Amino acid sequence: MRRQLRSRRAPAFPYGYRYRLDDQDEVNQNYLADEEEEAEEEARVMVVPELEEEEEEEEKEEVEEEEKEEEEGQGQPTGNAWWRKLQILNEYLWDPERRMSLARTGQSWSLILVIYFFFYASLAAVITLCMYTLFLTISPYMPTFTERVKPPGVMIRPFAHSLNFNFNVSEPDTWQHYVISLNGFLQGYNDSLQEEMNVDCPPGQYFIQDGNEDEDKKACQFKRSFLKNCSGLEDPTFGYSTGQPCILLKMNRIVGFRPELGDPVKVSCKVQRGDENDIRSINYYPESASFDLRYYPYYGKLTHVNYTSPLVAMHFTDVVKNQAVPVQCQLKGKGIINDVINDRFVGRVIFTLNIET
Amino acid sequence: MDPGGKKGTMTPQAQNPSPRPERGHKSSKHKKRKRKNKKGDMEELKKEVVMDDHKLTLEELSAKYSVDLTKGHSPQKAKEILIRDGPNTLTPPPTTPEWIKFCKQLFGGFSLLLWTGAGLCFIAYGIQKYFHEDAMKDNLYLGIVLSVVVIITGCFSYYQEAKSSKIMESFKNMVPQQALVIRGGEKMQINVEDVVLGDLVEVKGGDRIPADLRLISAQGCKVDNSSLTGESEPQSRFPDFTHENPLETRNICFFSTNCVEGTARGIVIATGDDTVMGRIATLTSGLTVGKTPIAAEIEHFIHLITAVAIFLGVTFFGLSLILGYGWLEAVIFLIGIIVANVPEGLLATVTVCLTLTAKRMARKNCLVKNLEAVETLGSTSTICSDKTGTLTQNRMTVAHLWFDRTVYEADTSEDQTGRIFAKGSDTWFILARIAGLCNRADFKANQETLPVPKRATTGDASESALLKFIEQMYSPVSEMREKNPKVAEIPFNSTNKYQMSIHLREGSSQTHMLLMKGAPERILQFCSTFLLNGKEYPLDDEMKEAFQNAYLELGGLGERVLGFCFLNLPSSFSKGFQFNTDEINFPMDNLCFVGLISMIDPPRAAVADAVSKCRSAGIKVIMVTGDHPITAKAIAGVGIISEGSETVEDVAARLRIPVSQVDARAVKAIVVHGSELKDLNSEQLDQILKNHSEIVFARTSPQQKLIIVEGCQRLGAIVAVTGDGVNDSPALKKADIGIAMGITGSDVSKQAADMILLDDNFASIVTGVEEGRLIFDNLKKSIAYTLTSNIPEITPFLMFIVLGIPLPLGTITILCIDLGTDMLPAISLAYESAESDIMKRLPRNAQTDNLVNHRLIGMAYGQIGMIQALAGFFTYFVILAENGFKPIDLLGIRLEWEDRYLNNLEDSYGQQWTYEQRKVLEFTCQTAFFVSIVIVQWADLIICKTRRNSIFQQGMKNKILIFGILEETLLATFLSYTPGMDVALRMYPLKIMWWLCAAPYSVLIFVYDETRRYIIRQRPGGWLERETYY
Repeated sequence: MRRQLRSRRAPAFPYGYRYRLDDQDEVNQNYLADEEEEAEEEARVMVVPELEEEEEEEEKEEVEEEEKEEEEGQGQPTGNAWWRKLQILNEYLWDPERRMSLARTGQSWSLILVIYFFFYASLAAVITLCMYTLFLTISPYMPTFTERVKPPGVMIRPFAHSLNFNFNVSEPDTWQHYVISLNGFLQGYNDSLQEEMNVDCPPGQYFIQDGNEDEDKKACQFKRSFLKNCSGLEDPTFGYSTGQPCILLKMNRIVGFRPELGDPVKVSCKVQRGDENDIRSINYYPESASFDLRYYPYYGKLTHVNYTSPLVAMHFTDVVKNQAVPVQCQLKGKGIINDVINDRFVGRVIFTLNIET
Repeated sequence: MDPGGKKGTMTPQAQNPSPRPERGHKSSKHKKRKRKNKKGDMEELKKEVVMDDHKLTLEELSAKYSVDLTKGHSPQKAKEILIRDGPNTLTPPPTTPEWIKFCKQLFGGFSLLLWTGAGLCFIAYGIQKYFHEDAMKDNLYLGIVLSVVVIITGCFSYYQEAKSSKIMESFKNMVPQQALVIRGGEKMQINVEDVVLGDLVEVKGGDRIPADLRLISAQGCKVDNSSLTGESEPQSRFPDFTHENPLETRNICFFSTNCVEGTARGIVIATGDDTVMGRIATLTSGLTVGKTPIAAEIEHFIHLITAVAIFLGVTFFGLSLILGYGWLEAVIFLIGIIVANVPEGLLATVTVCLTLTAKRMARKNCLVKNLEAVETLGSTSTICSDKTGTLTQNRMTVAHLWFDRTVYEADTSEDQTGRIFAKGSDTWFILARIAGLCNRADFKANQETLPVPKRATTGDASESALLKFIEQMYSPVSEMREKNPKVAEIPFNSTNKYQMSIHLREGSSQTHMLLMKGAPERILQFCSTFLLNGKEYPLDDEMKEAFQNAYLELGGLGERVLGFCFLNLPSSFSKGFQFNTDEINFPMDNLCFVGLISMIDPPRAAVADAVSKCRSAGIKVIMVTGDHPITAKAIAGVGIISEGSETVEDVAARLRIPVSQVDARAVKAIVVHGSELKDLNSEQLDQILKNHSEIVFARTSPQQKLIIVEGCQRLGAIVAVTGDGVNDSPALKKADIGIAMGITGSDVSKQAADMILLDDNFASIVTGVEEGRLIFDNLKKSIAYTLTSNIPEITPFLMFIVLGIPLPLGTITILCIDLGTDMLPAISLAYESAESDIMKRLPRNAQTDNLVNHRLIGMAYGQIGMIQALAGFFTYFVILAENGFKPIDLLGIRLEWEDRYLNNLEDSYGQQWTYEQRKVLEFTCQTAFFVSIVIVQWADLIICKTRRNSIFQQGMKNKILIFGILEETLLATFLSYTPGMDVALRMYPLKIMWWLCAAPYSVLIFVYDETRRYIIRQRPGGWLERETYY
């Protein structure tokens, strides 16, 4: 009997919508009972909820029905129960009698929505205010902290979402995209463009530009021609057609970064694992294999608009062919870290060359 | 009685000496409709006991069981019957195997939600693994952690319940019982299990009845049927058939009741499960128990949380498809969102909270067998209480005396201090002597150190009561007996209805006195004079009327009244005279009437207070007893029937109108007799339960108790049943919470109960109700607290999907919150003291007043959670902005950010980041987000302390809570700053400033909620309360 009662009751108000009948009053009563002297009086009423009377008859009928169904067979009741549940759900979604949807009348819905709208609007105002104060404390020219981006990372070009350079010298299709990538990348380094935009500053020393933070800063020239054989000017295939590929190395930009003690950062490459003689010679351009001091410091995107990242080109002129050669290029210099275990791109870069002939 | 029942049980017995084969036949006949049959069996068990053995003559009996009434069975035959019927033991209730109990803990209720979550995680991981080689292991880890949490919590609660059932085990004492049977004309001691149908059994005082017996001879035999019927008085037993009802007739003794005194010989008419006791035990174990209220609440909560999870999941599934994510990714997101909604720590929190309360209750003498039952008592709206042993002390005590035409009241409290009454009167001296001397009860040895009321005695309950009373009020009875040695006596028997003894008189030890006590009307018949202030007066009509009035008055109080009289025998019967009690050779008339003493099993001291507390807490207390209506009504005076209210009979008597003319609906109180109850259908019973607030059911059978409980439950009440006897156990089992008595309770009742009162004190129930209500309130707070942090945990993932920003909060950090920092504070809320007097509140309405309702979800998710999320996001944006990524540039950065090969991602300043550098920054942000949640949870914890009061009213007295705040802060610090955490959990040290980012939001939460509660207090019942008071 009790089980039947439950199973009938529970789905009648699924998911806590049971309160819709008179629960608000109920709650208040519950709380206020201590103030009311007739608490005892109510205690008796409580046991017999008001709806009990009207429900009782229904209940009886239903019990009888259920019993009948039980006698008739097992299959039908389950289907009927589902159907009943569906009806209840439907009524919950839209109850035409009380003009309620999801246990609320239209008025109740609009009130709560308006209140929540205002609540969230004021929250939005709060976060806006906070963000505003945040921007007051942040300089647009200089990030507050740079220790997470230091020491600088390293990237190579051509970049094709892979650090394996596999190509066949005799099949231009296999290396053509490297050439295109390099050409595209070096467009910004064209001598004419550099001469037009940037200044030729003295090498071997920092190009420090004092003055107000918000003044536009000048940038030093880094011409494509500095890269000599790897500039693509003489050899438009950057050596790929001869099995002597050029790979450009670029150090990540960091605002305010200066190589320590005035020593320029150098690049050196070697075989990472295996026979060191797999690479018999590498030519670096510029020949110093270093990033000249005049390209530092970097003043940030906003004022240092035309800043051109210096490059070092590695020309692998004699590499063992027809086998994968893992190459590690490291930055060397004071204050440079190139052996972080987790990060294989800080101060170094590892890639493989597999040149087939 | 019911014809169907007769057909089922009685006829087969009449037709066939052994009921067993018939039963087997019956069950095979109905095998096809087994389910129905089982149901039918239960219904049958619920009907009254039917048997006819008590009506048979001895010859018929002998024929029926084909047994010789002097020699008993031959050993050979007994063996055959034993093989046929099986041993004379109750089939133990089908004990659930331990592993099933364990599995129930593992897969019940809340755990199911977590298992589903874990399953989804594994599915998501499987999908990812199938399509990408280097799938993120997050989902795998999450799945594992979820499973581990469920398993650990399951083990924990299993251990808790195993522990309390171990305490249960210790109650049992398994001493094998022996029985004296006569087989083949020889008496032999055999184990009770070997007693068979038709066996000739002898019992004597102190024995336990080995099976249901039909007596064939008895000498002064009295049995204590209290464990079966609830009647506190021992009843005499003799071979004559006295009542149609087998439970009332005097010629049947029941299995496992006790023989108090005398000896008897009887034929076994039922053994094992066929006994009346066995039927009740079978009925008990066959009852199905409904869900506990808290289980129903948790189910409701799971529905709610699942609805929210699926709603969010599907919404963002659609959104991510619109945003252009692939199907696969969208499915992974869907699963991720659903899983993120699972409050991982809540199961453990709820379990621990319930355990703590269970422990606290155990300290207050309520042992809870089932964790979930902890709360049930708090939801209780009706208590059906047994009388004997629960409401009363289960000890006859002298309540009133009547002598010198005056009623004196004796002290009936448990620690009788001895109230002074007219001790100066000479009548009192004589009365005390009669009571002390004409008394066969005695103290057991070696109890001198114990206070008198606590000492054990031999003998009848009312004689013991007199003994103790005289010992305390007058003088040591042993001395008195020494000085006045007993020369002759006629023991009490139910035909005489008196007890007489002759003693030597003190001092002038030559003469004798004759002392007599017994049923008052019987005693008066012997008397011609009466004693007033020590002087004898002839018995006149005036005195007789006074006697009548006193007798009626005391009897009307439900007390057992005894009359006392004496006669100083003339000197012709001097010392050495041989008194013959069989052929009375001494005068036994014209005695002198002294007075009346009445006894009752008095209510416990704390009961009246406890009952009134229950009433003010809106709990209806119904007394259900096997005792007589008058006694029941007298005890109901403790508050079950309150002072002002009257029953129909009272009203009729007052207005001098017939009972039928009284409007039954207008009276509050009612006493229902078991025989009336039998004829009521369920609607009429419902009417009684509905219309009367103060109800006493008297002379009820175990089956009727069950029907009453079911009636209450039908009306939607959460019913607690208290009881100690076997007769209560079906009701105990059926009740939402059955409460058994730890000291006096029988094993069967303890087994059927959910809770055990270790001190047998009804007042402990009130403590239990209080604790139960408190834990319900506090669980709400705990859940509100725990759920709130769900929003700042889910929104990062949603923003990650929608805005394409780096993930602000990762799985590991979420787990750190749910299973780490949030845990202790949430548990500490279980220690929170009540906000108002919870015992002045009505019980919660199980239908409408849910543990978790939309208001709680609205508050936790919609309001506080949102503020918390803002705090987290603010911290997140601060860190990213200070490191170079301004919020505006973060939008849609997700694909590039997650690209392992992109090691020169530009930030807002033009700086370039490697993948790993970005990730370190991202994890720093996640650590900071985590820390922010901890900081806003401080405020959340403080606001969750109260639902209505201000924190300034409530105070910060909860030390555990303060410790909880400290602990979560220290844990957060530890997780952030310990070296190696960057590798282990990917959590990074934070700058002090980043801790402070969330602080304003903490203040905002505090101020917001204080204001909200202020308005709720100011406008009770207002809109805000209706929408946000959870």
